[in-house]
Amino acid sequence: MRGVTAGAAGGRDDRHGRVARGHGSGRPTPGGAPPSQPAPGREPRPRPAPSMAGIIRALVLPVARTLPWLPLAAGGTVGLLLVGVPRLVSGETPDRIALLLLRGAGLAFGLGLAFLMDDPARHTTAGVPVRRAVRAGLRVALVAPVAVGWWTAALLLVPAEVRPPVGDMTLEAAATAVLALLAGAAAVRMRDEPEPGQAAAAALLLTGLAAPLLMPDRWTLFVQPHADRWDEVHRSWAWLLAGAALVWAACLLEPVRRRRFRAVFASRH
Amino acid sequence: MTDLPTPPTVSAAGLTLRYGSTAALDDVSLRLGAGVTGLLGPNGAGKTTLLRVLATAVPADRGAFTVLGHDPNTTAGRQNVRRALGYLPQTPGFHPDFTAFAFVDYVAILKEMTNRAARHREVRRVLDEVGLGDVRGKRIRRLSGGMRQRVALAAALVGGPGFLVLDEPTVGLDPEQRMRFRELIASAGEGRTVLLSTHQTEDVAMLCHRVIVMAGGVVRFEGTPAELTARADGRVWSSTERDPGARAGWRTGTGSFRNVGDPPEGATLVEPTLEDGYLLTLDASDAASASSSEVTA
Repeated sequence: MRGVTAGAAGGRDDRHGRVARGHGSGRPTPGGAPPSQPAPGREPRPRPAPSMAGIIRALVLPVARTLPWLPLAAGGTVGLLLVGVPRLVSGETPDRIALLLLRGAGLAFGLGLAFLMDDPARHTTAGVPVRRAVRAGLRVALVAPVAVGWWTAALLLVPAEVRPPVGDMTLEAAATAVLALLAGAAAVRMRDEPEPGQAAAAALLLTGLAAPLLMPDRWTLFVQPHADRWDEVHRSWAWLLAGAALVWAACLLEPVRRRRFRAVFASRH
Repeated sequence: MTDLPTPPTVSAAGLTLRYGSTAALDDVSLRLGAGVTGLLGPNGAGKTTLLRVLATAVPADRGAFTVLGHDPNTTAGRQNVRRALGYLPQTPGFHPDFTAFAFVDYVAILKEMTNRAARHREVRRVLDEVGLGDVRGKRIRRLSGGMRQRVALAAALVGGPGFLVLDEPTVGLDPEQRMRFRELIASAGEGRTVLLSTHQTEDVAMLCHRVIVMAGGVVRFEGTPAELTARADGRVWSSTERDPGARAGWRTGTGSFRNVGDPPEGATLVEPTLEDGYLLTLDASDAASASSSEVTA
């Protein structure tokens, strides 16, 4: 073991180690002199732990400003154009493509959502007490109403007579959205990438285009509403949604220890 | 190893972290007290990894450490460490559309400062402290590189952390900005523990009470800057031509050569600097690594 010591004179401190302040100045105690000490016989008053609700309230506006509104708007606009243009051009949406257009719209909005985990200040804020999961959850909570409104608009743009089952289509769109979030969160977790949006969007686009073509028929998630397997396939979508949400949530956790298998694997080299 | 003049505020034992087959940290132990401690080492020495581990940005594979008595190996302990921490990473990122004030305010909220009035006072104070009081309403995208670096320092300082981790804060700054940063870091080191990673031996010579030299994920030296300089006593000499026996040598502005290594008989010895001591320490660790490899082979 290589041991070292380093240091010099100085002083401390409140309960969590914040430097004590000179009385009235609002500045850290200067000069390496002992900072303000509690009067004899008096314990330093512990700093009350701030409530999470108060922190979240204070974070709403700044976090809303950090959201990737441009990619979200772009994805949303492309999605609405996809479902709206046929109706605007010909006055109707053909039955056979309504499902495809809605799936395309969901994928387009998902591409925007893939940027939601982008945080250029991630490294600068790596050592703050408010956890990454809280910040990511807040980002999702702020975008959720927009996403719900957007999806409602997309559904309404498809005429009711050719509209696929709304609940099942919403399930597909929700799973796509969570997969988009998962792609971003996984890149952050595995590569410590502050802005994984582009790579996550590319991965989602590739998956969204390749999966219907490459998946074997018995596993396919993309069937027509009149197909016998429609209900069965949407149970798979539900599992996919739940699984992706769980993995996404796991990716947001900040482990206090590295995973054992990684350390063991590394030590074998 | 020399004793600390005060009780340690940061203690680490056996920190080890590997990336694949590479040991970024290999059984590193250290203790830090209040004041500025410099962390020197070549690229790839493990400085940034050590700082990231101490800043709780990445957990170590093995080993333990405490910051101001808090153990980050538990979730609650890590929260307490983070409450005591200010961290300026090697490449600080920003939300470029934020103003300097809004960004530091955002970080202050992330440091659990929820009282708006008190928080704004604190943000103004740290921005004034780093000399950005006049441009606090300016968007970060319009600030120079040096100013952005000061915004990052203000973000690290906000809330008065007891342990400040600074990863190469003077890289890319011009001499005037670097001087300004030295003043800020010296001021920040008064009454708190500051760990400063740098390639600049002048920064260490001017700022630090203590210095740690790392190479290959291992601590090669710890002590005072004077002790590091003393390692080169009698091992620096000048000559009119480059001495082929020197470990390192270069022509100085006066035209003579400054050589570092084992001087020949009758050499004209000159006063060593911290950098000479640092170079010889690295050279010794390279030699030790080479002989260790030969033994292994």
